[in-house]
Amino acid sequence: MLRKIHKKVCLLGDFAVGKTSLVRRYVYNRFNDKYISTIGVKVNRKSLVVPCGSEVVELTMILWDLAGSEEFDRMRSSYLRGAAGAVWVCDLTRPETLDSLKVYSDILSDVAPSAQLVAAGNKRDLVEELRIMPSRIEAAVGSRGLPYYLTSAKTGDDVEGLFHHLGCLLVSSLGGGE
Amino acid sequence: MKARIVANRRSRSYPQNGSDNAPDMPDDANVEALRAILLDGYRERVADLERELEDVEHRITDEEALLAAVTPVLGDAIRRRIRDARQEMIEALYPIIGQLVVRAVSEAIRDLARKIDAQVRTSFTPQVLWWRLRARIGGASSGELALRQALPFQVAQVFLIHRRTGLLLRHVCAEAEPAEDSDLIGSMLNAIRDFAEDAFGRGEQADLDVIEYGDRRIVIEAGEHAYLAVVVDGVEPPGFRAEMRERIIEIGNKHAATLRDYDGDPTLLSSTEASLRSLMELLSPAGLSAGQKGFLAGALGLLFVCVILSCFASRWAWRTLVHRATPVPIVAGATASATLTQVPTPTYTMTPLPTHTATPTRSPTSTPLVGMMTGHVWMRSQPSSDAPLLGAIVERGESVTIRALYGEWCQIEWVPEAGSKVVGWVPLKWVGTVGLISNEITTPTVSP
Repeated sequence: MLRKIHKKVCLLGDFAVGKTSLVRRYVYNRFNDKYISTIGVKVNRKSLVVPCGSEVVELTMILWDLAGSEEFDRMRSSYLRGAAGAVWVCDLTRPETLDSLKVYSDILSDVAPSAQLVAAGNKRDLVEELRIMPSRIEAAVGSRGLPYYLTSAKTGDDVEGLFHHLGCLLVSSLGGGE
Repeated sequence: MKARIVANRRSRSYPQNGSDNAPDMPDDANVEALRAILLDGYRERVADLERELEDVEHRITDEEALLAAVTPVLGDAIRRRIRDARQEMIEALYPIIGQLVVRAVSEAIRDLARKIDAQVRTSFTPQVLWWRLRARIGGASSGELALRQALPFQVAQVFLIHRRTGLLLRHVCAEAEPAEDSDLIGSMLNAIRDFAEDAFGRGEQADLDVIEYGDRRIVIEAGEHAYLAVVVDGVEPPGFRAEMRERIIEIGNKHAATLRDYDGDPTLLSSTEASLRSLMELLSPAGLSAGQKGFLAGALGLLFVCVILSCFASRWAWRTLVHRATPVPIVAGATASATLTQVPTPTYTMTPLPTHTATPTRSPTSTPLVGMMTGHVWMRSQPSSDAPLLGAIVERGESVTIRALYGEWCQIEWVPEAGSKVVGWVPLKWVGTVGLISNEITTPTVSP
């Protein structure tokens, strides 16, 4: 019988980097997006089968899509409690969104120290408007030892790969939620 | 400790007077004076220290003295510890204080139930009688049923949610198929709790207790590592929260290690389902079980049979009484005898009548019905024992003409051997007849 595991995963990133769009096509949606602007979060679900040692497990990621803001205030930091993983998203067409990595990474380390973090440079389909080169994002996340993916919520490029990678990291650290 | 202190004190003790060391000291007044000048201060100091040491020893060894010394600062120490490590203290005390509070609240609820029971027992309204019947069948007290009746209530869903991660640990619902998105609802509930705490908590240790939407309420009871969110319709009855608290404490104690380091595997908590389901069924609307329904149907069937039998018995008894009240008609013949059950004259003998009409005519005057007196009876002017007497006693064996009937009284016409015809009322039981008394002469009105 397939072992079933549930993990809490948070989506982090500045306003309009595409967090909601990134997961919308691939997750089970129950709640309207308006919750993000009302209480600052909307919960989605993404299930996938990932290898865990010699077996495979059915991993259900409960994705907390958090509202982005210029400053990550205390209210939203409480939403990170108990997170086993997080996806930090930046907008490849807006270089300033890259700067939030430090803020989010530090708060995540503080609130959920054992959480696995994966980076995503979104909107790669807007080739003409790209302002962040892969080398730059690699340098930013590389210093923190984070895996990163260049994704497109519009075309779906590497979105599955992103979540699959995060899923593998989550089951590899089974037993450490925080 | 005491031995060490005593030893130290001995090793530090100084001679108290010059005579202790007299053999070793030069017997010189100047030296003694010099010693006094040099050592007197130290001697006093040593004496003071010895007194203080004895006092400390006394405080340590004497339990009462130790309590008197520590008590004034103990309260401040606890207050400071609670202030500095509030969450830690709560977690340490929760299993103890939680149980105490639950016990106290349970006792209060039981008292309330007893009061209601007493009130219900002294009341005899049809509704209360129905509650009592249901209580007998259902095994609950009538007071509890009264409460349940007063507060329509149903548990729709029960969520057991991990407090830190917001992950759904277990979910039970009234419907056969659980909702597909129960895990998302659990997480959103957690988000709402976090939101309420951040937005309105103002640093206080408080929890969101209830979320209301119309008649539907989400009642939340938090434990140390998990909390219960119960979706109910209507108003939860008193005692429901205590039940929730008992469940969450029980689950918290039983699965403390799993909940503290929860790794996302809900199967580790599958054993909690029975506890959650019992919470759902405990105070759900009192539907009768199949056995109870069978018992109720049997009781109703038995009641129906009893009613039918009573009807037959009543009918039989009525017929018997009627037949006994009316003297049995004797068919005309050579000699007829009739037995009256009404004493004092049990039997009589009638002579055959020359004419007899078997079928009474419609008019009482057309063919007079002849009867025979079975006792000596006063004739009265009205069909009542209170009515005035006519002054005539119709004797047993006299032949009379029956003119009318009124209840238990009979109007007769009697012609004595010497005298004129007398018409009056006598009790029917003293008049024997040889034919059926026609309904035509039975009258509800009194005719003189």
